[in-house]
Amino acid sequence: MNFTNLQIQTEQLPKVEDVVLKPISKSYLKIILLNKLALYTGLIGLVFGLKYIIEKKEEVQLNLWYMLSAVVVFCIFNFIVSLLAFKKRKYAMREHDVVYAKGLLVHSITTVPISRIQHVEESRSWLARHFGLATLKIFTAGEAGSDLSIKGLPYIEAKQIKEIISDKVNGNN
Amino acid sequence: METTDFSQPIRQSSKGIIIIFAFNAFSFFKKFFVLFIAFGVSIMRRKSFGGITPTMMLLALLGVLIIILVIAILKYLNFKFHLSKDDFHLATGIINKDNTIIPKSKIQNVYIKQNFLQQIINVVSVKIETAGDKKSEIEISALDKPTALLLKKKLFNKANVENEHAEQIDTIEASEVFFKVTPKRLLLEGISQNHFKSFLLILTFAYGIYSEFKDFLKDLELEKHVEGLVKLDEDTILNLIITNVVIILVVVLFSFLFSIVTTFIINFNLEVVEHQKTIEINKGLFNKVSLSLTPSRIQNLVIKTNRVKQYFNLHSLSVKQAMVNAKQQKNFKIVALEKEQLNHLINKLLINYNNEGEVAKPRPYFIRISVLEMLAFGIVINALSLFLFGIEMLWINVVFVPFAVLYVYFAYKKAYYKISDNFLTIGSGVIDTTTNILEIHKIQEVELKQTLFQQRSDIASLVISTASKSVTIPYVSKLEALSIYNFLLYKVESQDRDWM
Repeated sequence: MNFTNLQIQTEQLPKVEDVVLKPISKSYLKIILLNKLALYTGLIGLVFGLKYIIEKKEEVQLNLWYMLSAVVVFCIFNFIVSLLAFKKRKYAMREHDVVYAKGLLVHSITTVPISRIQHVEESRSWLARHFGLATLKIFTAGEAGSDLSIKGLPYIEAKQIKEIISDKVNGNN
Repeated sequence: METTDFSQPIRQSSKGIIIIFAFNAFSFFKKFFVLFIAFGVSIMRRKSFGGITPTMMLLALLGVLIIILVIAILKYLNFKFHLSKDDFHLATGIINKDNTIIPKSKIQNVYIKQNFLQQIINVVSVKIETAGDKKSEIEISALDKPTALLLKKKLFNKANVENEHAEQIDTIEASEVFFKVTPKRLLLEGISQNHFKSFLLILTFAYGIYSEFKDFLKDLELEKHVEGLVKLDEDTILNLIITNVVIILVVVLFSFLFSIVTTFIINFNLEVVEHQKTIEINKGLFNKVSLSLTPSRIQNLVIKTNRVKQYFNLHSLSVKQAMVNAKQQKNFKIVALEKEQLNHLINKLLINYNNEGEVAKPRPYFIRISVLEMLAFGIVINALSLFLFGIEMLWINVVFVPFAVLYVYFAYKKAYYKISDNFLTIGSGVIDTTTNILEIHKIQEVELKQTLFQQRSDIASLVISTASKSVTIPYVSKLEALSIYNFLLYKVESQDRDWM
């Protein structure tokens, strides 16, 4: 079979583009916001700190406002991007694989066949526990980069998916 | 040949003491190297240091060596291994006794290695790797070669096979030396290598040395000398250019030599032995290694050649296997293969690979991206040369522009992909011609990537990971990317074949 045959056949294959992807829990946005806020405060604090140290040595005063506005612009840009990117975080589970899509600037759709999964892990940070969320980590035997982690799932759903996958993985062996 | 009985606990060859001793002494001196230097210098200067005379130092050193020797002997005495029906047993430890049991079925790789010292006293070390992390490695550092080979065979024998029966199979198993590299071809391989890497290495090394000895050079009043030269007229500018050219030529020559020598040392006496199911690679000058390849564990094949090598009919084949640590992974490379030999090996390693399927190219978007990359690179180079050397250095563009054009041209020319029923072949490279082959049922994960800018032109890339390597099909139309995506997933999920 060569590639032209394949094209015809692919019409009948299950299509990943037809899968209805489910958005992750809305509460995860809060976690992102909190994280970003912490980051921005840190950055702005750093600017002031730098100013303090530099001014002690030399008389460079103009710097501050340029630096501050640059940092603020970066923060606003970063904030908008991460807000928009949040809507792109979607996942789905099919009979034979797990699909996860994410990213605004670089959008990616990743699929891991369940038969290739080595083990599944569900982990919760302190913040995630507070909002009733969990991260689902899916490990394959692939290169270090090829593991999937789906952040911001509702805890109960993460647990369910984990159970389903574990059952299938163990059932296969 | 006297066959060794592995069913009783045995020690390694008594020469193992020497190996253990040398290894421990070496690591001891490596640890305290700085301390030694400091002590040595201060004693040399003052003849004594806090009441310690050189003779006392020497005695202390001797004492330490004797202690290391005693430890080595004890280690040797307490190192015992044997084989039971299904397991490999190992007892180690002088005070803390460790008893390790590895089921034969869990052993992933057995390597036979021989470093310089081991070559002198004619023993080999056997390394047993399991699927876990690095700590789960076991090394028996001194066995004579027949014993080691026998041990390797026995470790790989399935436990349920009757022992005598297994031995029969071993004798029947036809093993022939399929490929042996000649020094001439190895030399050609070294010469025709991509020298950029070693060139950079040597350059950084030279620069490092230069900055180390900067002060020293200053003492020689070289700078004044140079200044004197600069003050002179245009004749000396020519002189300066000639010196620079000579320096660059020397570095190039060095990197040539470096490439050739490393190729020689690593691949000395490269030998590929064909067994019924597996393939064995033997090579190395100072560090002799012997590795075996099992087709089921192979994840990717990477074939590399370049223009010059093609002329000499030289091809190199890297085999990426699952469950092999990164350091060993490098060793699974066979260089200086002829085209027919290469095809034979590929056919042996990948069953039914016949290079079929229609060749498809990335979209012309590929060219646009490469041009942009080169443009960015060019701007950086121009800015740097302008900043560092002044306006005259812009002549560098005379070299750079043709280089950039050729780069883009070849990068696009060599990029292609080919999908058949069971295999995925991806071609890439600029100076080298690289071909990546993987079996579709060994795919672990498929990823579709698209940047914001690519959305407008409906372009996407595919990243396909196996257990040992990720490959990319760059910049195809989104429709095609999705159909490949679906096809690969369908293949993986409908077949229920093991990836290892």
